[in-house]
Amino acid sequence: MHIMLDRDLCQGHGTCGEEAPEVFELDAEGNLVVKQPEPPESQREAVKRAVKYCPTGALTLQE
Amino acid sequence: MAEAVLDRHTGGSAPPVLSGSLPLLGHLLQLRNAPIDLFWRLRRECGEIGELNFAGNRVVLLTGEEAQEAFFRAEEEQLDQAAAYPFMKPVFGRGVVFDATPEQRRQAMKNQSLRDKFMRGHAEVIAAETERMMDPLGDEGELDLLDFFAELTIYTSSACLIGKGFREELTPEYYRVFYDLEKGTDALAYVNPSLPLPVFRARDRARKRLVELLTDVFARRAGVEGENRELFDILLTLRDQSGAPRYDVDVITGMFISMMFAGHHTTSGTAAWTLIELLRHPDVATAVVNELDEIYADGRDVSYQALREIPALEAAVKESLRLHPPLILLMRKVMKSFEYKQWTVPAGKLVGVSPAVSNRLPECFPEPERYDPDRYAEGHEADRRLFAWIPFGAGRHRCVGAAFAMMQLKAIFSTLLRSYTFELAQPPESYQNDHSKMVVQLRQPCRARYRRRAP
Repeated sequence: MHIMLDRDLCQGHGTCGEEAPEVFELDAEGNLVVKQPEPPESQREAVKRAVKYCPTGALTLQE
Repeated sequence: MAEAVLDRHTGGSAPPVLSGSLPLLGHLLQLRNAPIDLFWRLRRECGEIGELNFAGNRVVLLTGEEAQEAFFRAEEEQLDQAAAYPFMKPVFGRGVVFDATPEQRRQAMKNQSLRDKFMRGHAEVIAAETERMMDPLGDEGELDLLDFFAELTIYTSSACLIGKGFREELTPEYYRVFYDLEKGTDALAYVNPSLPLPVFRARDRARKRLVELLTDVFARRAGVEGENRELFDILLTLRDQSGAPRYDVDVITGMFISMMFAGHHTTSGTAAWTLIELLRHPDVATAVVNELDEIYADGRDVSYQALREIPALEAAVKESLRLHPPLILLMRKVMKSFEYKQWTVPAGKLVGVSPAVSNRLPECFPEPERYDPDRYAEGHEADRRLFAWIPFGAGRHRCVGAAFAMMQLKAIFSTLLRSYTFELAQPPESYQNDHSKMVVQLRQPCRARYRRRAP
Protein backbone atom coordinates (compact mmCIF):
# COMPACT_ATOMS: atom_id res chain seq x y z
CA MET A 1 0.00 0.00 0.00
CA HIS A 2 1.57 3.25 -1.17
CA ILE A 3 0.18 6.79 -0.83
CA MET A 4 0.58 9.19 -3.75
CA LEU A 5 0.21 12.91 -3.10
CA ASP A 6 -0.39 15.29 -6.02
CA ARG A 7 1.04 18.57 -4.74
CA ASP A 8 -0.60 20.54 -7.57
CA LEU A 9 -3.93 19.70 -5.97
CA CYS A 10 -3.32 19.75 -2.19
CA GLN A 11 -4.61 22.91 -0.47
CA GLY A 12 -3.85 21.93 3.11
CA HIS A 13 -7.40 21.40 4.36
CA GLY A 14 -6.14 18.84 6.86
CA THR A 15 -8.99 16.39 6.36
CA CYS A 16 -6.56 13.48 5.91
CA GLY A 17 -4.87 14.35 9.21
CA GLU A 18 -8.22 14.18 10.97
CA GLU A 19 -8.92 10.76 9.45
CA ALA A 20 -5.46 9.23 9.80
CA PRO A 21 -3.34 11.35 12.17
CA GLU A 22 -0.58 8.75 12.32
CA VAL A 23 -0.05 8.96 8.58
CA PHE A 24 -0.79 12.59 7.64
CA GLU A 25 0.11 15.84 9.31
CA LEU A 26 0.20 19.51 8.36
CA ASP A 27 3.49 21.18 9.18
CA ALA A 28 3.81 24.63 10.76
CA GLU A 29 3.42 26.25 7.31
CA GLY A 30 0.25 24.31 6.62
CA ASN A 31 1.92 22.00 4.10
CA LEU A 32 0.95 18.37 4.12
CA VAL A 33 3.56 15.89 5.31
CA VAL A 34 2.91 12.22 4.54
CA LYS A 35 4.65 10.71 7.55
CA GLN A 36 4.18 7.17 6.36
CA PRO A 37 4.04 6.92 2.55
CA GLU A 38 3.93 3.12 2.98
CA PRO A 39 1.54 2.82 5.92
CA PRO A 40 1.10 -0.46 7.81
CA GLU A 41 -1.94 -2.62 7.16
CA SER A 42 -3.47 -1.48 10.46
CA GLN A 43 -3.89 1.99 8.94
CA ARG A 44 -5.67 0.79 5.81
CA GLU A 45 -9.22 1.80 6.73
CA ALA A 46 -8.17 5.22 8.06
CA VAL A 47 -6.05 5.89 4.97
CA LYS A 48 -8.89 4.86 2.67
CA ARG A 49 -11.14 7.36 4.43
CA ALA A 50 -8.46 10.05 4.12
CA VAL A 51 -8.24 9.42 0.38
CA LYS A 52 -12.01 9.35 0.00
CA TYR A 53 -12.70 12.54 1.94
CA CYS A 54 -9.79 14.61 0.63
CA PRO A 55 -11.69 17.67 -0.63
CA THR A 56 -9.35 18.19 -3.57
CA GLY A 57 -8.70 14.61 -4.67
CA ALA A 58 -4.97 15.08 -4.06
CA LEU A 59 -4.42 11.61 -2.56
CA THR A 60 -4.46 8.23 -4.25
CA LEU A 61 -3.71 4.82 -2.90
CA GLN A 62 -1.64 2.31 -4.86
CA GLU A 63 -1.52 -1.33 -3.87
CA MET B 1 6.53 11.75 -34.27
CA ALA B 2 3.34 13.66 -33.93
CA GLU B 3 2.84 12.26 -30.46
CA ALA B 4 6.32 13.25 -29.38
CA VAL B 5 5.52 16.79 -30.45
CA LEU B 6 2.25 16.70 -28.55
CA ASP B 7 3.90 15.46 -25.38
CA ARG B 8 6.45 18.21 -25.23
CA HIS B 9 3.99 21.10 -25.61
CA THR B 10 6.44 22.72 -27.99
CA GLY B 11 4.18 25.60 -28.85
CA GLY B 12 4.75 27.94 -31.75
CA SER B 13 1.31 28.36 -33.34
CA ALA B 14 -1.20 30.99 -32.39
CA PRO B 15 -4.59 29.55 -31.39
CA PRO B 16 -7.35 30.06 -33.99
CA VAL B 17 -9.57 33.08 -33.50
CA LEU B 18 -13.32 32.45 -33.33
CA SER B 19 -15.35 33.93 -36.18
CA GLY B 20 -17.97 36.60 -35.68
CA SER B 21 -15.80 39.17 -33.91
CA LEU B 22 -17.10 42.72 -34.27
CA PRO B 23 -14.86 45.79 -34.52
CA LEU B 24 -13.94 47.08 -31.02
CA LEU B 25 -16.41 44.92 -29.10
CA GLY B 26 -15.25 41.56 -30.47
CA HIS B 27 -17.48 38.81 -29.06
CA LEU B 28 -18.59 40.87 -26.07
CA LEU B 29 -22.25 41.15 -27.05
CA GLN B 30 -22.46 37.39 -27.54
CA LEU B 31 -20.81 36.96 -24.15
CA ARG B 32 -23.55 39.10 -22.58
CA ASN B 33 -26.41 37.47 -24.45
CA ALA B 34 -25.61 33.76 -24.49
CA PRO B 35 -22.16 33.03 -23.07
CA ILE B 36 -22.51 29.25 -22.90
CA ASP B 37 -23.62 29.07 -26.55
CA LEU B 38 -20.61 31.19 -27.45
CA PHE B 39 -18.22 28.80 -25.68
CA TRP B 40 -19.77 25.75 -27.35
CA ARG B 41 -19.57 27.43 -30.74
CA LEU B 42 -15.88 28.00 -30.13
CA ARG B 43 -15.38 24.31 -29.29
CA ARG B 44 -17.22 23.24 -32.45
CA GLU B 45 -15.43 25.68 -34.69
CA CYS B 46 -11.91 25.81 -33.23
CA GLY B 47 -11.58 22.59 -31.23
CA GLU B 48 -9.97 22.41 -27.81
CA ILE B 49 -8.35 25.85 -28.03
CA GLY B 50 -9.59 29.07 -29.57
CA GLU B 51 -9.43 32.81 -29.02
CA LEU B 52 -12.23 35.16 -28.02
CA ASN B 53 -12.15 38.93 -27.95
CA PHE B 54 -13.90 40.83 -25.17
CA ALA B 55 -13.60 44.47 -26.20
CA GLY B 56 -9.90 44.09 -26.91
CA ASN B 57 -9.19 41.63 -24.09
CA ARG B 58 -8.03 38.43 -25.78
CA VAL B 59 -9.23 35.34 -23.97
CA VAL B 60 -8.01 31.94 -25.13
CA LEU B 61 -10.59 29.35 -24.15
CA LEU B 62 -9.41 25.81 -23.41
CA THR B 63 -12.02 23.05 -23.49
CA GLY B 64 -11.80 19.30 -22.97
CA GLU B 65 -10.34 17.35 -20.08
CA GLU B 66 -6.76 17.40 -21.33
CA ALA B 67 -6.54 21.12 -22.16
CA GLN B 68 -8.27 21.97 -18.90
CA GLU B 69 -5.76 19.92 -16.94
CA ALA B 70 -2.92 21.93 -18.50
CA PHE B 71 -4.73 25.11 -17.42
CA PHE B 72 -5.36 23.97 -13.85
CA ARG B 73 -1.87 22.56 -13.35
CA ALA B 74 -0.02 25.65 -14.60
CA GLU B 75 2.30 27.37 -12.12
CA GLU B 76 1.12 30.54 -10.39
CA GLU B 77 4.02 32.49 -11.97
CA GLN B 78 2.70 31.49 -15.38
CA LEU B 79 -1.08 31.88 -15.05
CA ASP B 80 -2.21 34.46 -12.52
CA GLN B 81 -5.74 34.52 -11.21
CA ALA B 82 -5.77 37.90 -9.54
CA ALA B 83 -5.39 40.00 -12.70
CA ALA B 84 -8.16 38.32 -14.69
CA TYR B 85 -11.35 39.81 -13.27
CA PRO B 86 -11.55 43.57 -13.93
CA PHE B 87 -15.30 43.64 -13.23
CA MET B 88 -14.64 42.85 -9.55
CA LYS B 89 -12.49 45.90 -8.81
CA PRO B 90 -15.32 48.40 -8.30
CA VAL B 91 -17.16 45.84 -6.17
CA PHE B 92 -14.32 45.30 -3.71
CA GLY B 93 -12.96 48.82 -3.86
CA ARG B 94 -9.48 50.02 -2.92
CA GLY B 95 -7.14 48.12 -0.69
CA VAL B 96 -8.55 44.69 -1.35
CA VAL B 97 -6.91 42.16 -3.62
CA PHE B 98 -9.18 39.90 -5.58
CA ASP B 99 -7.48 36.76 -4.54
CA ALA B 100 -4.59 35.56 -2.44
CA THR B 101 -1.60 33.67 -3.79
CA PRO B 102 -1.58 29.91 -3.09
CA GLU B 103 1.03 30.59 -0.39
CA GLN B 104 -1.19 33.18 1.33
CA ARG B 105 -4.13 30.82 1.00
CA ARG B 106 -2.24 28.05 2.73
CA GLN B 107 -1.28 30.49 5.46
CA ALA B 108 -4.87 31.58 5.83
CA MET B 109 -6.09 28.00 5.85
CA LYS B 110 -3.74 27.20 8.73
CA ASN B 111 -5.77 28.76 11.47
CA GLN B 112 -8.79 29.95 9.63
CA SER B 113 -12.43 29.19 9.63
CA LEU B 114 -12.41 26.82 6.65
CA ARG B 115 -10.20 24.26 8.36
CA ASP B 116 -11.75 20.90 8.90
CA LYS B 117 -11.89 21.09 12.68
CA PHE B 118 -14.12 24.20 12.69
CA MET B 119 -16.76 22.60 10.53
CA ARG B 120 -18.92 21.12 13.26
CA GLY B 121 -19.45 24.52 14.85
CA HIS B 122 -20.34 25.95 11.44
CA ALA B 123 -22.86 23.18 10.80
CA GLU B 124 -24.61 24.00 14.06
CA VAL B 125 -24.78 27.68 13.13
CA ILE B 126 -26.15 26.93 9.66
CA ALA B 127 -28.87 24.62 10.98
CA ALA B 128 -29.90 27.33 13.47
CA GLU B 129 -29.94 30.03 10.77
CA THR B 130 -32.11 27.82 8.56
CA GLU B 131 -34.53 27.37 11.49
CA ARG B 132 -34.67 31.14 11.89
CA MET B 133 -35.50 31.62 8.22
CA MET B 134 -38.28 29.03 8.56
CA ASP B 135 -39.84 30.74 11.59
CA PRO B 136 -41.93 33.28 9.68
CA LEU B 137 -42.96 30.81 6.95
CA GLY B 138 -46.01 29.43 8.73
CA ASP B 139 -47.82 26.25 7.68
CA GLU B 140 -47.98 26.92 3.98
CA GLY B 141 -47.33 29.56 1.39
CA GLU B 142 -45.13 30.60 -1.50
CA LEU B 143 -41.60 31.96 -1.58
CA ASP B 144 -39.09 33.19 -4.10
CA LEU B 145 -36.13 30.83 -4.17
CA LEU B 146 -33.57 33.51 -4.96
CA ASP B 147 -34.75 35.83 -2.18
CA PHE B 148 -35.01 33.03 0.37
CA PHE B 149 -31.61 31.44 -0.21
CA ALA B 150 -29.80 34.73 -0.85
CA GLU B 151 -30.98 36.02 2.52
CA LEU B 152 -30.21 32.76 4.33
CA THR B 153 -26.68 32.55 2.95
CA ILE B 154 -25.89 36.14 3.92
CA TYR B 155 -26.58 35.13 7.53
CA THR B 156 -24.78 31.78 7.40
CA SER B 157 -21.68 33.20 5.68
CA SER B 158 -21.38 36.16 8.01
CA ALA B 159 -21.97 34.08 11.15
CA CYS B 160 -19.42 31.41 10.15
CA LEU B 161 -16.76 33.49 8.41
CA ILE B 162 -16.88 36.82 10.25
CA GLY B 163 -18.54 36.44 13.64
CA LYS B 164 -21.81 35.75 15.37
CA GLY B 165 -22.03 39.19 16.93
CA PHE B 166 -21.53 40.81 13.56
CA ARG B 167 -24.18 38.57 12.00
CA GLU B 168 -26.75 39.77 14.55
CA GLU B 169 -26.33 43.27 13.13
CA LEU B 170 -27.46 42.20 9.67
CA THR B 171 -30.93 42.79 8.27
CA PRO B 172 -32.65 41.72 5.03
CA GLU B 173 -31.35 44.94 3.46
CA TYR B 174 -27.89 43.36 3.28
CA TYR B 175 -28.86 40.62 0.87
CA ARG B 176 -30.54 43.17 -1.39
CA VAL B 177 -27.41 45.30 -1.34
CA PHE B 178 -25.37 42.24 -2.19
CA TYR B 179 -27.73 41.45 -5.03
CA ASP B 180 -27.00 44.85 -6.57
CA LEU B 181 -23.26 44.30 -6.13
CA GLU B 182 -23.55 40.91 -7.81
CA LYS B 183 -25.61 42.31 -10.67
CA GLY B 184 -22.93 44.94 -11.14
CA THR B 185 -20.64 42.35 -12.73
CA ASP B 186 -21.84 43.07 -16.26
CA ALA B 187 -19.41 41.97 -18.96
CA LEU B 188 -19.42 45.56 -20.27
CA ALA B 189 -16.87 46.11 -17.50
CA TYR B 190 -14.41 44.73 -20.07
CA VAL B 191 -14.98 47.96 -22.00
CA ASN B 192 -14.87 50.11 -18.87
CA PRO B 193 -16.17 49.31 -15.39
CA SER B 194 -17.28 52.93 -14.95
CA LEU B 195 -19.56 53.22 -17.98
CA PRO B 196 -22.71 55.22 -17.11
CA LEU B 197 -24.97 52.17 -17.08
CA PRO B 198 -27.84 51.57 -14.63
CA VAL B 199 -26.28 48.32 -13.35
CA PHE B 200 -22.96 50.02 -12.64
CA ARG B 201 -24.67 52.95 -10.92
CA ALA B 202 -26.69 50.53 -8.81
CA ARG B 203 -23.46 48.69 -7.98
CA ASP B 204 -21.76 51.90 -6.80
CA ARG B 205 -24.83 52.99 -4.80
CA ALA B 206 -24.96 49.56 -3.17
CA ARG B 207 -21.33 49.73 -2.15
CA LYS B 208 -21.79 53.22 -0.72
CA ARG B 209 -24.86 52.07 1.18
CA LEU B 210 -22.91 49.17 2.61
CA VAL B 211 -20.27 51.58 3.95
CA GLU B 212 -23.07 53.56 5.65
CA LEU B 213 -24.61 50.43 7.13
CA LEU B 214 -21.28 49.17 8.42
CA THR B 215 -20.37 52.57 9.86
CA ASP B 216 -23.49 52.27 12.02
CA VAL B 217 -22.70 48.68 12.93
CA PHE B 218 -19.23 49.62 14.14
CA ALA B 219 -20.57 52.60 16.06
CA ARG B 220 -22.92 50.25 17.89
CA ARG B 221 -20.19 47.71 18.48
CA ALA B 222 -17.63 50.23 19.69
CA GLY B 223 -18.30 49.28 23.31
CA VAL B 224 -17.85 45.54 22.77
CA GLU B 225 -14.95 44.26 24.79
CA GLY B 226 -12.79 41.25 25.50
CA GLU B 227 -13.75 37.93 24.04
CA ASN B 228 -16.77 39.36 22.27
CA ARG B 229 -14.62 41.46 19.97
CA GLU B 230 -14.59 40.03 16.48
CA LEU B 231 -12.33 40.32 13.47
CA PHE B 232 -13.58 43.70 12.24
CA ASP B 233 -13.74 45.23 15.73
CA ILE B 234 -10.06 44.44 16.09
CA LEU B 235 -9.07 45.59 12.59
CA LEU B 236 -10.73 48.95 13.20
CA THR B 237 -8.65 49.64 16.28
CA LEU B 238 -5.29 48.87 14.64
CA ARG B 239 -2.99 51.88 14.26
CA ASP B 240 -0.05 52.44 11.98
CA GLN B 241 3.29 53.88 13.17
CA SER B 242 2.04 57.46 13.13
CA GLY B 243 -0.94 56.47 15.29
CA ALA B 244 -3.50 56.85 12.53
CA PRO B 245 -6.11 54.09 12.01
CA ARG B 246 -4.74 51.48 9.66
CA TYR B 247 -8.09 50.61 8.09
CA ASP B 248 -11.12 52.82 7.63
CA VAL B 249 -14.68 51.58 7.22
CA ASP B 250 -14.41 51.82 3.43
CA VAL B 251 -11.54 49.33 3.34
CA ILE B 252 -13.21 47.08 5.92
CA THR B 253 -16.33 47.15 3.76
CA GLY B 254 -14.20 45.86 0.90
CA MET B 255 -12.87 43.07 3.12
CA PHE B 256 -16.40 42.21 4.18
CA ILE B 257 -17.52 42.03 0.55
CA SER B 258 -14.53 39.94 -0.49
CA MET B 259 -15.00 37.50 2.40
CA MET B 260 -18.69 37.12 1.68
CA PHE B 261 -18.70 37.27 -2.09
CA ALA B 262 -17.22 33.92 -3.06
CA GLY B 263 -19.52 31.93 -0.81
CA HIS B 264 -22.71 33.87 -1.28
CA HIS B 265 -24.28 33.82 -4.75
CA THR B 266 -22.60 30.46 -5.37
CA THR B 267 -24.14 28.66 -2.39
CA SER B 268 -27.41 30.51 -2.69
CA GLY B 269 -27.78 29.56 -6.36
CA THR B 270 -26.79 25.96 -5.74
CA ALA B 271 -29.34 25.62 -2.94
CA ALA B 272 -32.06 26.99 -5.22
CA TRP B 273 -31.06 24.76 -8.15
CA THR B 274 -30.87 21.69 -5.93
CA LEU B 275 -34.42 22.30 -4.81
CA ILE B 276 -35.64 23.02 -8.35
CA GLU B 277 -34.05 19.82 -9.71
CA LEU B 278 -35.49 17.78 -6.84
CA LEU B 279 -38.94 19.14 -7.62
CA ARG B 280 -38.44 18.45 -11.33
CA HIS B 281 -37.52 14.85 -10.43
CA PRO B 282 -39.98 13.64 -7.79
CA ASP B 283 -38.43 10.15 -7.60
CA VAL B 284 -35.09 11.67 -6.62
CA ALA B 285 -36.81 13.97 -4.14
CA THR B 286 -38.57 11.05 -2.51
CA ALA B 287 -35.30 9.15 -2.14
CA VAL B 288 -33.60 12.21 -0.62
CA VAL B 289 -36.39 12.89 1.88
CA ASN B 290 -36.62 9.21 2.86
CA GLU B 291 -32.89 9.14 3.42
CA LEU B 292 -33.05 12.18 5.69
CA ASP B 293 -36.01 10.81 7.66
CA GLU B 294 -34.15 7.56 8.18
CA ILE B 295 -30.83 9.12 9.19
CA TYR B 296 -32.38 11.54 11.66
CA ALA B 297 -34.93 9.08 13.06
CA ASP B 298 -32.74 8.58 16.12
CA GLY B 299 -32.88 12.29 16.92
CA ARG B 300 -29.26 13.02 16.09
CA ASP B 301 -28.04 16.56 15.48
CA VAL B 302 -27.73 18.15 12.06
CA SER B 303 -24.36 19.50 13.20
CA TYR B 304 -23.16 15.92 13.61
CA GLN B 305 -24.59 14.51 10.40
CA ALA B 306 -23.85 17.38 8.03
CA LEU B 307 -20.17 16.44 8.27
CA ARG B 308 -20.89 12.82 7.46
CA GLU B 309 -22.28 11.01 4.48
CA ILE B 310 -25.79 11.72 3.23
CA PRO B 311 -25.31 9.96 -0.11
CA ALA B 312 -28.60 10.63 -1.93
CA LEU B 313 -28.65 14.30 -0.92
CA GLU B 314 -24.99 14.79 -1.78
CA ALA B 315 -25.48 13.21 -5.21
CA ALA B 316 -28.50 15.46 -5.82
CA VAL B 317 -26.43 18.54 -4.93
CA LYS B 318 -23.47 17.45 -7.05
CA GLU B 319 -25.68 16.82 -10.05
CA SER B 320 -27.23 20.29 -9.66
CA LEU B 321 -23.72 21.74 -9.50
CA ARG B 322 -22.76 19.88 -12.65
CA LEU B 323 -25.71 21.18 -14.67
CA HIS B 324 -25.82 24.67 -13.13
CA PRO B 325 -22.30 25.67 -12.10
CA PRO B 326 -22.44 29.08 -10.40
CA LEU B 327 -19.37 30.27 -12.30
CA ILE B 328 -19.35 29.66 -16.04
CA LEU B 329 -15.96 31.12 -16.96
CA LEU B 330 -12.75 30.80 -14.93
CA MET B 331 -9.88 32.96 -16.08
CA ARG B 332 -6.19 33.54 -15.55
CA LYS B 333 -3.83 36.16 -16.91
CA VAL B 334 -0.85 34.77 -18.80
CA MET B 335 2.31 36.07 -17.09
CA LYS B 336 4.84 33.86 -18.92
CA SER B 337 3.94 32.52 -22.35
CA PHE B 338 1.74 29.46 -21.95
CA GLU B 339 2.33 26.49 -24.21
CA TYR B 340 -0.11 23.71 -24.89
CA LYS B 341 0.61 21.12 -27.55
CA GLN B 342 1.55 23.05 -30.69
CA TRP B 343 0.04 26.33 -29.49
CA THR B 344 1.49 29.30 -27.65
CA VAL B 345 -0.45 31.95 -25.78
CA PRO B 346 1.82 34.96 -25.19
CA ALA B 347 2.03 36.89 -21.92
CA GLY B 348 -0.63 39.57 -21.53
CA LYS B 349 -3.54 37.55 -22.90
CA LEU B 350 -6.07 35.76 -20.75
CA VAL B 351 -6.79 32.05 -20.77
CA GLY B 352 -10.09 30.61 -19.64
CA VAL B 353 -11.94 27.41 -18.91
CA SER B 354 -15.72 27.06 -18.81
CA PRO B 355 -17.27 24.82 -16.13
CA ALA B 356 -20.59 25.10 -17.99
CA VAL B 357 -19.04 23.45 -21.05
CA SER B 358 -16.80 21.02 -19.20
CA ASN B 359 -19.53 19.65 -16.95
CA ARG B 360 -21.55 18.68 -20.03
CA LEU B 361 -18.83 17.15 -22.17
CA PRO B 362 -20.49 14.01 -23.59
CA GLU B 363 -17.19 12.08 -23.60
CA CYS B 364 -16.90 12.59 -19.82
CA PHE B 365 -20.56 12.55 -18.81
CA PRO B 366 -22.76 10.26 -20.93
CA GLU B 367 -26.14 11.82 -21.72
CA PRO B 368 -24.83 15.08 -20.29
CA GLU B 369 -28.17 16.92 -20.34
CA ARG B 370 -29.83 14.34 -18.11
CA TYR B 371 -30.16 15.02 -14.37
CA ASP B 372 -28.88 11.74 -12.98
CA PRO B 373 -27.59 11.62 -9.39
CA ASP B 374 -26.60 7.96 -9.94
CA ARG B 375 -23.46 9.30 -11.62
CA TYR B 376 -22.03 9.70 -8.14
CA ALA B 377 -22.88 6.21 -6.87
CA GLU B 378 -20.06 4.05 -5.55
CA GLY B 379 -17.89 2.93 -8.46
CA HIS B 380 -19.02 5.77 -10.78
CA GLU B 381 -17.98 8.91 -8.90
CA ALA B 382 -18.30 11.36 -11.77
CA ASP B 383 -17.00 14.11 -9.48
CA ARG B 384 -13.62 12.38 -9.27
CA ARG B 385 -12.90 13.29 -12.87
CA LEU B 386 -10.95 16.14 -11.37
CA PHE B 387 -10.29 18.10 -14.55
CA ALA B 388 -13.71 17.55 -16.16
CA TRP B 389 -16.21 17.80 -13.26
CA ILE B 390 -15.23 21.33 -12.32
CA PRO B 391 -18.03 23.31 -10.66
CA PHE B 392 -15.42 24.23 -8.03
CA GLY B 393 -12.55 24.56 -10.50
CA ALA B 394 -9.50 22.35 -9.95
CA GLY B 395 -5.86 22.48 -8.93
CA ARG B 396 -4.26 25.11 -6.70
CA HIS B 397 -7.07 27.59 -7.10
CA ARG B 398 -9.86 25.08 -6.59
CA CYS B 399 -12.54 26.68 -4.45
CA VAL B 400 -11.18 26.50 -0.87
CA GLY B 401 -14.75 26.71 0.36
CA ALA B 402 -15.93 23.59 -1.48
CA ALA B 403 -16.06 21.37 1.62
CA PHE B 404 -17.69 24.18 3.59
CA ALA B 405 -20.25 24.65 0.83
CA MET B 406 -21.16 20.96 0.69
CA MET B 407 -21.50 20.83 4.46
CA GLN B 408 -23.61 23.98 4.37
CA LEU B 409 -25.96 22.59 1.73
CA LYS B 410 -26.32 19.34 3.68
CA ALA B 411 -27.13 21.26 6.85
CA ILE B 412 -29.66 23.50 5.05
CA PHE B 413 -31.53 20.65 3.38
CA SER B 414 -31.37 18.40 6.44
CA THR B 415 -33.25 21.15 8.24
CA LEU B 416 -35.56 22.37 5.48
CA LEU B 417 -36.73 19.10 3.93
CA ARG B 418 -37.62 17.50 7.26
CA SER B 419 -39.94 20.39 8.10
CA TYR B 420 -41.47 21.28 4.76
CA THR B 421 -42.50 19.74 1.46
CA PHE B 422 -42.10 21.90 -1.62
CA GLU B 423 -43.57 22.09 -5.09
CA LEU B 424 -42.82 24.23 -8.09
CA ALA B 425 -45.15 27.21 -8.48
CA GLN B 426 -44.20 27.74 -12.14
CA PRO B 427 -43.78 25.49 -15.20
CA PRO B 428 -40.61 23.38 -14.64
CA GLU B 429 -38.81 24.83 -17.66
CA SER B 430 -39.44 28.44 -16.60
CA TYR B 431 -36.61 28.31 -14.04
CA GLN B 432 -33.56 29.71 -15.82
CA ASN B 433 -30.30 31.37 -14.97
CA ASP B 434 -29.67 34.95 -15.99
CA HIS B 435 -26.31 34.85 -17.79
CA SER B 436 -26.14 38.52 -18.67
CA LYS B 437 -23.82 39.16 -15.72
CA MET B 438 -20.53 37.48 -14.92
CA VAL B 439 -22.06 36.47 -11.61
CA VAL B 440 -24.78 34.03 -12.58
CA GLN B 441 -28.11 34.30 -10.75
CA LEU B 442 -31.52 32.73 -11.11
CA ARG B 443 -33.90 34.82 -13.14
CA GLN B 444 -36.84 36.05 -11.09
CA PRO B 445 -39.61 35.09 -10.63
CA CYS B 446 -38.49 31.66 -9.40
CA ARG B 447 -41.22 30.73 -6.98
CA ALA B 448 -42.01 27.56 -5.04
CA ARG B 449 -44.89 26.56 -2.77
CA TYR B 450 -44.27 25.00 0.60
CA ARG B 451 -46.34 23.14 3.17
CA ARG B 452 -45.33 22.10 6.66
CA ARG B 453 -44.95 18.37 7.04
CA ALA B 454 -47.01 16.47 9.59
CA PRO B 455 -44.89 15.99 12.70
